[in-house]
Amino acid sequence: MDKNNNIFQKIQQLDRRYIYIILAVAIILPLIFPYNSKTYTTKPAENIYRMIDSFAPVFPEGATEEEKDAIAMAHDKAVMLAFWHDASTMSELFPMELSIIRHCFERRIKFFTFTIFATSAPIIDMAINEVKKSDPEKYGNKKSGEDYVNFGYKVSSLLLPIIFGMGEDISDAMDIDAEGRKVSSLPIMTNIKNYNDMNLVIDFSASSAGTYWIYYARPRFGVNVAVGVTAVMAADTYPQLQTGQFIGMLAGMKGAAEYEKLVDVFASTQREFSSEILRNEAEPIISGDTNLPYPFRQARIGMNAQSIAHILIIVFILIGNVGFFVQKHLQKNDN
Amino acid sequence: MFKKTIPLIMVVTLGFLFVGFVFIPHKIAQDFYYVWFVDWIRAMSPFGLILGIMSITLAHTTRIRRKTPNWQYSILALVGLYFTAASGFIWGTQEGTPYMWIFKNIQVPMSATMFSLLAFYIASAAYKAFRARSAEATVLLITALIVMLGQVPIGISIFGEGIATLTQWILDVPNLASKRGIALGVGLGSVAVSLRILLGIERTYLGGGE
Repeated sequence: MDKNNNIFQKIQQLDRRYIYIILAVAIILPLIFPYNSKTYTTKPAENIYRMIDSFAPVFPEGATEEEKDAIAMAHDKAVMLAFWHDASTMSELFPMELSIIRHCFERRIKFFTFTIFATSAPIIDMAINEVKKSDPEKYGNKKSGEDYVNFGYKVSSLLLPIIFGMGEDISDAMDIDAEGRKVSSLPIMTNIKNYNDMNLVIDFSASSAGTYWIYYARPRFGVNVAVGVTAVMAADTYPQLQTGQFIGMLAGMKGAAEYEKLVDVFASTQREFSSEILRNEAEPIISGDTNLPYPFRQARIGMNAQSIAHILIIVFILIGNVGFFVQKHLQKNDN
Repeated sequence: MFKKTIPLIMVVTLGFLFVGFVFIPHKIAQDFYYVWFVDWIRAMSPFGLILGIMSITLAHTTRIRRKTPNWQYSILALVGLYFTAASGFIWGTQEGTPYMWIFKNIQVPMSATMFSLLAFYIASAAYKAFRARSAEATVLLITALIVMLGQVPIGISIFGEGIATLTQWILDVPNLASKRGIALGVGLGSVAVSLRILLGIERTYLGGGE
């Protein structure tokens, strides 16, 4: 057999443009035609969910909506969402942000947002508006300054003063919100003073930026820190995750899909977290006969595409190696 | 003296004051940061921004004036910079403004396109270069296959939850062992370099080689 023209040699030298086309088709098709698949939740995602859920106010039985609003406003627990990424990594991080905002809205948990990247400031607006627009009946009445507040863009050189400052007084450290209002005058700040009340920071980034919080805020003020990171950065955060310095982690599209499912199964039905329910209950439907708006199932649909892409890459690796070994064997025989 | 000695004294003094702030809870050490240092940072930041805008404007106008290769992109960069900034100042940055339109329709698709190229490069590199040439490469290859299958629902559906458990073990044990080793090395290196800077031994940041 001519060693330069056999099929295995051709496999080795396949034009990479064919690989690109096959991969593009394999990714695009599941996005256009999503299918229902099972999402397996992991402990790091469940831990974040459970901690946020523990911040929810408790309402007396039979309380009216007005009474619930008043109780939620006076509640002394809040979550900080730090949007530290730009538009390039939105495909992985944005669904996480939507799910956590939706969780907070569902359980009437106060949340704050801020960023140190100028290019992230519009992402915060997009995320909050996307959740409100996707289900206006449920979330359309959520008000900035009462249910949540966006502190907006803060210059990165002020990061340390802000991190340390929030340990004393959040209103002082942030000063004004994204709409130019004095933070101390906002109703949401009732009973919220510092990290004792805002006891969870979730940092979304495409880097190991979340470690800033465990270097500076956690040792001094005891704040709980969690991260949402892109899949390629996930391996870097495992040391802090195992030591408990990060209470949880959402890793890439997979983490976002897990959180989407947790919100669907528990928060949207106002149920407490339970591993039993997760194990035994039927998987929420993400395609076909579903009323769930697209933004609330986009990570799970994205995981369909990622599944196919992973399988395809594995097939590519196997074909490439088969070609390599057969070619090597033929060369050895020729010699 | 102005180029070397004064900057060196500033770095060493402020460095030790910051170390004091972090490690000494006394009021004097804390006041240095909250009362004095924070105000300085607030005052300096706008100047940094102005300097950055001046620098990028000068660099691109020079390219346009000299008609260097691809100078047309410099026009695009400057128009993008000033128009986006102006639209934010004039109409605000909220939903429904031109600034948000630019962000959603230009910035997001362009950035996402750049990032998505990663998948194509990975696929191509995996096909062309990921070969079981040696025992080490074979271990790496098998590990990669397991982790790729264990991370997606389809892999768990085919091979059962055992593959997810095995993936988690790979991430928690061998991955962590190497990560910790690297982190310790980086940490010790950082402490050594910081000490050299604080003690004035490391001076390359001043522009000299000694």
